Amino acid sequence: MVAGPAVFGRRAGLRQDHRFESRPERLCYGRVVFWILLATFLAYTIWRIFLGYPQPRRAYRIVAPREVAFLEAAGEATFPAGGAIPLSGRDADLPGYADGFLESLPRHLRLQVRAMLMLFEQATIFFPAPGRGGRRRFSSLSEEQRVAVLDGWSRSRLFLRRLAFTALRAVLTMGYLGHPIAMRHLRLAPLDFPSPIVEADLLYPAIGARKDSINWTEADLCESDGTPLDPNGPIHPSFRGDER
Amino acid sequence: MAGAAEATRGEVRVFAEYDRDFEEETDVVVVGSGPCGAVVAHQLAQAGRRVVLLEEGPPFIPSEFELEGSKSMSRTMREGGLRSTRGSILPTMQAIALGGGSLVNSAICVRPPEAVFQRWATGFDLEITNRETLDRHYDEVADFLGIAPTPEEVQGRRNTLFRDGCDALGYGSEPIARNVRNCRGSGECFTGCRNRAKQSMDISYIPAAIRHGARVLTSVQVQEVLREGSRVTGVTGRVAEPFSGRLGHRFTVRAKTVVLAAGCMATPVLLQRSGNLANRSGQVGENLQFHPGVAIAGFFPEPTTPQFGATQGYQSLHFLDEGFKLETLWAPPAVMAVRMPGFGHPLQEIFADFPNMAVWDAIASTHKSLGRVRARRGTLDPALTWHMHPDDVPILKRALFVLTEIYFAAGATKVTPGVNGVPEILYSRDEADVLLNHPIQASDLVCGGNHAFCTTRMHGDPARGVVDEYGRCHDFDNLYIADTGIFPQCPSVNPMFTGMALAHRQAEAILDRT
Ligand SMILES: Cc1cc2nc3c(=O)[nH]c(=O)nc-3n(C[C@H](O)[C@H](O)[C@H](O)COP(=O)(O)OP(=O)(O)OC[C@H]3O[C@@H](n4cnc5c(N)ncnc54)[C@H](O)[C@@H]3O)c2cc1C
Ligand code: SF4
Repeated sequence: MVAGPAVFGRRAGLRQDHRFESRPERLCYGRVVFWILLATFLAYTIWRIFLGYPQPRRAYRIVAPREVAFLEAAGEATFPAGGAIPLSGRDADLPGYADGFLESLPRHLRLQVRAMLMLFEQATIFFPAPGRGGRRRFSSLSEEQRVAVLDGWSRSRLFLRRLAFTALRAVLTMGYLGHPIAMRHLRLAPLDFPSPIVEADLLYPAIGARKDSINWTEADLCESDGTPLDPNGPIHPSFRGDER
Repeated sequence: MAGAAEATRGEVRVFAEYDRDFEEETDVVVVGSGPCGAVVAHQLAQAGRRVVLLEEGPPFIPSEFELEGSKSMSRTMREGGLRSTRGSILPTMQAIALGGGSLVNSAICVRPPEAVFQRWATGFDLEITNRETLDRHYDEVADFLGIAPTPEEVQGRRNTLFRDGCDALGYGSEPIARNVRNCRGSGECFTGCRNRAKQSMDISYIPAAIRHGARVLTSVQVQEVLREGSRVTGVTGRVAEPFSGRLGHRFTVRAKTVVLAAGCMATPVLLQRSGNLANRSGQVGENLQFHPGVAIAGFFPEPTTPQFGATQGYQSLHFLDEGFKLETLWAPPAVMAVRMPGFGHPLQEIFADFPNMAVWDAIASTHKSLGRVRARRGTLDPALTWHMHPDDVPILKRALFVLTEIYFAAGATKVTPGVNGVPEILYSRDEADVLLNHPIQASDLVCGGNHAFCTTRMHGDPARGVVDEYGRCHDFDNLYIADTGIFPQCPSVNPMFTGMALAHRQAEAILDRT
């Protein structure tokens, strides 16, 4: 139980000495100020973490608006427009990538990755960006400020900060370089070629299906002919479009 | 429970086909279908034993392979490929799929040199674990899987540049022998071989085991080993939905012999969760070792066309005595890119150079760096702790230096060593000296550890090891372990082939004794 003002009042009534009269009042005011400060702090924290984010342009299954804002901002700072690859981090649909990635993770890891995104978004309180308003949320900073913040993480003397940066950049990079536009530009998109039908294909159905869905028969069996692939050959259909 | 089924007809069961709780009875139950479990299951089925092979992951067919790195990892790897140790942070991947690690690995098959076995023999009271006795088992596995050196036509430039660099410096190198037939050089071993050339267990030993009558139950998670007095009697667990891991129907498989081949992270957890089984020595889950690996990229003036070529086509065993092995490497670009330095336009410029890139790696024998595996509450995923010993760091420093040296000897114009405190890009051989001279610590290195061993190690002395030289638990007559956990120490070269040779020998021992 936290002692409230009334308790102090009653105790004060037992004492007649005026030297003690002002103390409960002071304590009472102190408590009020404490509660006001706490409430303000909580309100600020809630606002800082959850509110004031724009509604995302499309719906996501897992990522929240605050994560969309952070991923777009971090993506833009990590892979700015006008670079050597004609795809910016903002255009690479990193929130879309992260949505699918998070969905595929076990719960405890999903929580860890989301906590990491929140850490970077909010840690400007402790590691502010240079210039005015450097303690704003990461996604509210100017692009130069975001670059400076990420630079601070990447060069930190603290191992754990560097590690966190490497983890964040890994998530962003996987999303960025996995994008069909980036893969095509680098001429690294997987090639399209037919898969031979082997004995195993007569045994295993597609994941989730039953074995009676297998359509191959022994007559279809064939094996790789070992011909080296032509690196300039057609690319796999899933890398031909402009969306992931 | 539904009625007990006779385990006589070879077949595979998949997730969609489990519609009730079930019980089976068999001669041998093998838990885990990775390289070691698959070999044991095949050898025993071939010899006429009734075998049930249990695997938590699903079978993958080529249309199920995701070509994009992280999507692929989230489907084929445990914990979405994000598993890592505490202590010294070391990412480590274990597969969850029919075929275990063989589905996603690069099929590298190397026999350790005699010196490794001598180290094992003297350190762990072993008498029959040496090249002389094991060569026959290596040979039989090699014949079955068609293990052969990677042909020149599918090497690709990023592999042959490594050879050029080694040649220029007088370092020995050779094409990597792999369990592959008719490779076309797609460089996609990590996401699954769409070309069906890699002889992963799901397309080699397991179909053959089924032909010999083995029953293969996929998407079943073994949760406990059953015991009655001084013998184990089978295993029990639940059906696990692919990818979500949601648990469903219960099952029990009763068997005269139980073989745990769940991998060196999962087997100790299973033992710990089964009432700390087979742990009179106190060694279950202890002694965890890795081959910590460092991978670095070099960039050449001409295109290396890296999307073409065997995933890992060339290696050098030249420095094994110094404690490291060198290899070429490829994986989806997004996975490779994770190790590149910086961000912003400079990072994009590095990416833009990927068509001229080759990536090579070193794996180190770090005998002093040890860890442990512990069961966690509410999950079979292990809690891993591991510490890189300061004495082992110089091995990796030297390996990084040699790799950089080879890059420049092969004509690279820049190398990204990926070491904290060292320039992000090195432009000449002379600049590489910083790798030797800079005071590098374990936390400055970006390592990975996909080769893991020793958590249920073999030892001639039952007080100091979990299994004997045949993989039989010292504490139980009919409980065997067949995975890389039984290695007494790291093998200094890629572990799969040795795991399979030991499993092959173990199958003979089981046949002799049952
Ligand atoms: C990306 C990568 C590349 C590699 N490249 C090479 C290489 O080229 N050459 C090489 O020698 N080594 C390589 N390795 C290492 C090699 O793949 C492993 O050492 C090898 O697969 C170990 O075999 P195993 O049978 O001990 O265990 P695993 O291959 O891990 O198999 C264990 C199996 O047991 C299953 N299982 C676990 N728990 C349960 C349970 N409770 N119930 C049911 N089933 C369960 C798992 O799903 C898995 O399928 C690589 C590893 C990785 C990750
Ligand atoms: S390099 Fe490609 S074709 Fe060759 S074994 Fe690996 S995945 Fe198969």
